[in-house]
Amino acid sequence: MDAALLEQMLLGALLALSVYLPLRCGQLSLATPGFYAVGGYVAALLSTRVAAFAGSGATSPLWALVAEMVLGGILAGLIALAIGGPVLQLRGIYLAIATIALVEILRVLNLNLPFTGGAMGIFAIPQPFEQADGYVLFTLVLLALACWLCQRLEVLRLGRAMAAIRDDELAAASVGIDTPRTKLIAFVASAVLAGVTGALAAHFLNAWNARAGSFDASITTLAFVVFGGSRYWLGPVLGGLVLTALPELLRPVGDLRLILFGSVILLGPLFFPQGLVTAERLRGLGALLGRAPQAP
Amino acid sequence: MDLIQILVNGLSVGAVYGLFALGYTLVFSVLGVINFAHGAVFTLGAYFTYLLIGGAIGANGLMAGFQLPFALPFWGALPLAGLGAALVALLVERVAFRPLRRRRADPLLALITSLGAGVILVNLIQLLVGAESYAIPTSVLGGLPASFPLLGARVRTVQALLLGVAVLLLALLSLWLEGSRNGRGLQAVAEDPETAQLLGIDSTAMVRLAFGLSGFLAGVAGGLVGLSVSIAGPYFGIGYGLKGLAVLVLGGLGSVPGAVLGGLIVGLAEAFVPADWSGYKDAVSYGFLFLVLLLRPRGLLGRPLPTKV
Repeated sequence: MDAALLEQMLLGALLALSVYLPLRCGQLSLATPGFYAVGGYVAALLSTRVAAFAGSGATSPLWALVAEMVLGGILAGLIALAIGGPVLQLRGIYLAIATIALVEILRVLNLNLPFTGGAMGIFAIPQPFEQADGYVLFTLVLLALACWLCQRLEVLRLGRAMAAIRDDELAAASVGIDTPRTKLIAFVASAVLAGVTGALAAHFLNAWNARAGSFDASITTLAFVVFGGSRYWLGPVLGGLVLTALPELLRPVGDLRLILFGSVILLGPLFFPQGLVTAERLRGLGALLGRAPQAP
Repeated sequence: MDLIQILVNGLSVGAVYGLFALGYTLVFSVLGVINFAHGAVFTLGAYFTYLLIGGAIGANGLMAGFQLPFALPFWGALPLAGLGAALVALLVERVAFRPLRRRRADPLLALITSLGAGVILVNLIQLLVGAESYAIPTSVLGGLPASFPLLGARVRTVQALLLGVAVLLLALLSLWLEGSRNGRGLQAVAEDPETAQLLGIDSTAMVRLAFGLSGFLAGVAGGLVGLSVSIAGPYFGIGYGLKGLAVLVLGGLGSVPGAVLGGLIVGLAEAFVPADWSGYKDAVSYGFLFLVLLLRPRGLLGRPLPTKV
């Protein structure tokens, strides 16, 4: 398979995990693309305006990429921390709409702030890897790390608190779970993951503009999770991989491509209301492999 | 620009936002979900209007060069376009909402399925008529002048029209909701679908009614905006759709007067953004929305949020 497509799929899976984290706690946040855009701008600005980050050789230094990802994650996390307290008091569709509003506000800021390059955005972002293969390996490591952390959540107290809030927030609070704090942790973790992914994506895509974080992206990333299944981390990863690849794989059908993509989004939830990865299918898979998985 | 001009600009744009949010609100009140295909239905209304007044399709798309053999006056074309949009909205209900309801699936899924329907519609438009922009000439208004003076400002006739039609539709809708059997049935379903069903109200029919009405409102709004600023391409409903969402929450989810009030407030607030800051205009409604959600989550005219025990 084409390495560039594979890289896009891996990035899609990371973004899907970012949407999954608050959802694991029952919070429908569509803010992921906003934080993704913020992370990307951090990387784009640092690597094109600061000489040390751009490096002097054919490729920019790897430490610079890692530093940008850390900084992008931190900035996104700080924004989430600042707004999370009041925003997470909202529930259900209200929270979803507030996060759409956040994405739009960030998009308008990115479009108009004096240092983000306007509608054209930022070009010629230096490459830390000579070929797409380098990105794929690097992103695979990142994705594996994110998946491992999500798997750890299944057994950690924090993860169980999140699941309890998803199932019944009032009941969770009544048994002593600090629900505002748990929800905030999930929201900030989601933002950090999106910011880190954005910083990486900005290098891979070579250019970054305000379209990176738009309403369309909000719904597309939500579709990843709904399509794959929101109960277990494997669902969003699968959804992100498949739905990112789909429009590219459909390229041969030309103009019908997006119509078919829309049909998949329309029909997917009708035929798989729980998503592709459900607890039963996981158990079935576990039995097939001869051991019980730690599925919820 | 003097005050009257700003007010007129703001109110006419706000009227469109209000019509848009009314459509969302009707569906939300009966189903408790947002119909993300609403923007695409609005867009279709604009194209229907363009075709019905006798406009020809450009050189791109499968329908290149197509033109209806007749040309209706704008007054005839607009309600017909609304009806066409209503039919499309009913179709959206049929494929994207009803199967989920029948299976009692998570209502969250309707966000995705309706967006899927919207993606299909928008790209179908692009496939059929191309991505170019179409303008509805103001000459379709017949003998009406393009603009008229009002208190020292010049008001475009289209702007006055937008405002007038929005107010008229709102008034009709309110009268119908309060005074007619179906209107009260719709309110009963919005209140509590199961009790309404027990009382002999066909809630499926009411849901269909809500979709039909919301499609009609969107179609009419689309035609009016097409006349006012031209149809910028298959995607032009999306921006309005997002603003409509902000307006919906601002006014209060499920509140009919709230939707209109919210629309007018957002339209006015945008009109008062100074020209030097026009880039930030689009953030005004979302900033408002954010504030309202944090200070008064039920919206300006919404009912208190239910608290589960």
